[in-house]
Amino acid sequence: MLGIIKRDLIILFSNKRERFFLIFYIPFLLFIVESYDSKFMYFVILVAYTYLLSITPFAYDISGRTRYIMSSLPISRKEVVFYKYLSTFFYFAITIVYAGIYLWIINALKIKSVDYFNVEMIIKAIPIVMIFTSIVFPAYFRFEPKIAQIVHMVVFITFFIGATNMSVVGEKSFVKYLGFLQGKNIVFLAIGMYIVSLLLSMKLYENRDL
Amino acid sequence: MDYVLEVNSLRKEFKNFTLDNISFKLEPGYIMGFIGPNGAGKSTTIKLIMNLIKKNGGEIKVFGKDHIKYEKEIKDRIGFVYDENYYYEDLTIKQMKDIVASFYSKWDEHQFNYYIHEFDLNPKAKIKTLSKGMKMKFSLAVALSHHADLIIMDEPTSGLDPVFRREILDILYNVIQDDSKSIFFSTHITTDLEKIADYITFINEGKVVFSKPKDEVLENYALVKGGTDLLDRETRKEFIGLRETKVGFEGLTDNLDNVKRIFGDKVLIEKATLEDIMVYSVRR
Repeated sequence: MLGIIKRDLIILFSNKRERFFLIFYIPFLLFIVESYDSKFMYFVILVAYTYLLSITPFAYDISGRTRYIMSSLPISRKEVVFYKYLSTFFYFAITIVYAGIYLWIINALKIKSVDYFNVEMIIKAIPIVMIFTSIVFPAYFRFEPKIAQIVHMVVFITFFIGATNMSVVGEKSFVKYLGFLQGKNIVFLAIGMYIVSLLLSMKLYENRDL
Repeated sequence: MDYVLEVNSLRKEFKNFTLDNISFKLEPGYIMGFIGPNGAGKSTTIKLIMNLIKKNGGEIKVFGKDHIKYEKEIKDRIGFVYDENYYYEDLTIKQMKDIVASFYSKWDEHQFNYYIHEFDLNPKAKIKTLSKGMKMKFSLAVALSHHADLIIMDEPTSGLDPVFRREILDILYNVIQDDSKSIFFSTHITTDLEKIADYITFINEGKVVFSKPKDEVLENYALVKGGTDLLDRETRKEFIGLRETKVGFEGLTDNLDNVKRIFGDKVLIEKATLEDIMVYSVRR
């Protein structure tokens, strides 16, 4: 697991574009997504940031030619998949710390009033991240980069449309109408989807010609 | 006997190409040259050995163990060098080494630093700034720094100038002084193997033509030169491949006794090189 995370972090921090994204994505989200509720902004940042942290270095590997190197190293394909799914939680933890510090500074400087730590939103964010990654990961493990990118874009845009809908309309939003962010059902749904997705990705990746 | 590498009846089907019934064995401490023209199936075979693509049939054993069942354990003991650079181009040599090293149980930092120094590589240099030869040296440094028992190389000298090629071969020559290491080396530049290989496996159009000790191969084949008036329907059968010009013919045979009996001293007989064997076998 450490090898996989080490690789992901080295890739993220070595690329100028990714470094730029890491630094400016939070302020970008803050000023793009206007919300009636400061805690909702925190939720959007947690989900978007964790999701992108999980997908970006992974996309380099599964889509690019580097997959030959990584697949020639002493690690089984099942382990690659398993650690990838496990690392989402690690990135979620990183996001809580990083976004927390970043948003605290923004608050302290009185640039914008936004939550920098909110347990309720953390609990609501993790199932959403799990649902999104459980849809996108199998696509990266099985399909060619172009198809996987389309799945990724569809999921990410859906999230933004949903988030914008909620942030603007609030309690009357379509997302609320679906009950998407409420109750324990979402947690069970997320856990179920994540496990099924993990097993599916293992099966797909194990039988794939690289 | 436990072979370092044992491939039996390997089969892989693609839309326009089939790798069929590939079998060969490599003993510990030897170098096997895996030769064949472009598109013969060399890289496909190597990808199958490394489990990068899935076989449709047959068996691959590395260190006497199934290459999928014991994949992790096996890959820990394999050093690999591919024909192209598949490393992350944006990373420096040191960053890439840090990633790779964390996966090997016997990574030897001292050994890696020795090779980096020996190959004149700058650890701070980004991989995308390296020449093809330097990238190949970096791949070799990685492959040789975790006490691998088997080095698998796919066309490591392809696209390199003669100076770099010689350097790479010299490095390999030093590596094989250690009797415990085995090398499986695919190439279409057969001259690279004349010096260093112990065994030659020749593959063409997805099938193994032969897999034999190099000396036996070079003894078995001969190049025959003579006038075209000596060729007729019957005598042509003595040749694996023929090249005819206005001034005469040149042909490859693996039945020298027959050729001597038929042509006597009307032909000139020369030792065949691996390149002759490959070229004439493909031309057949």
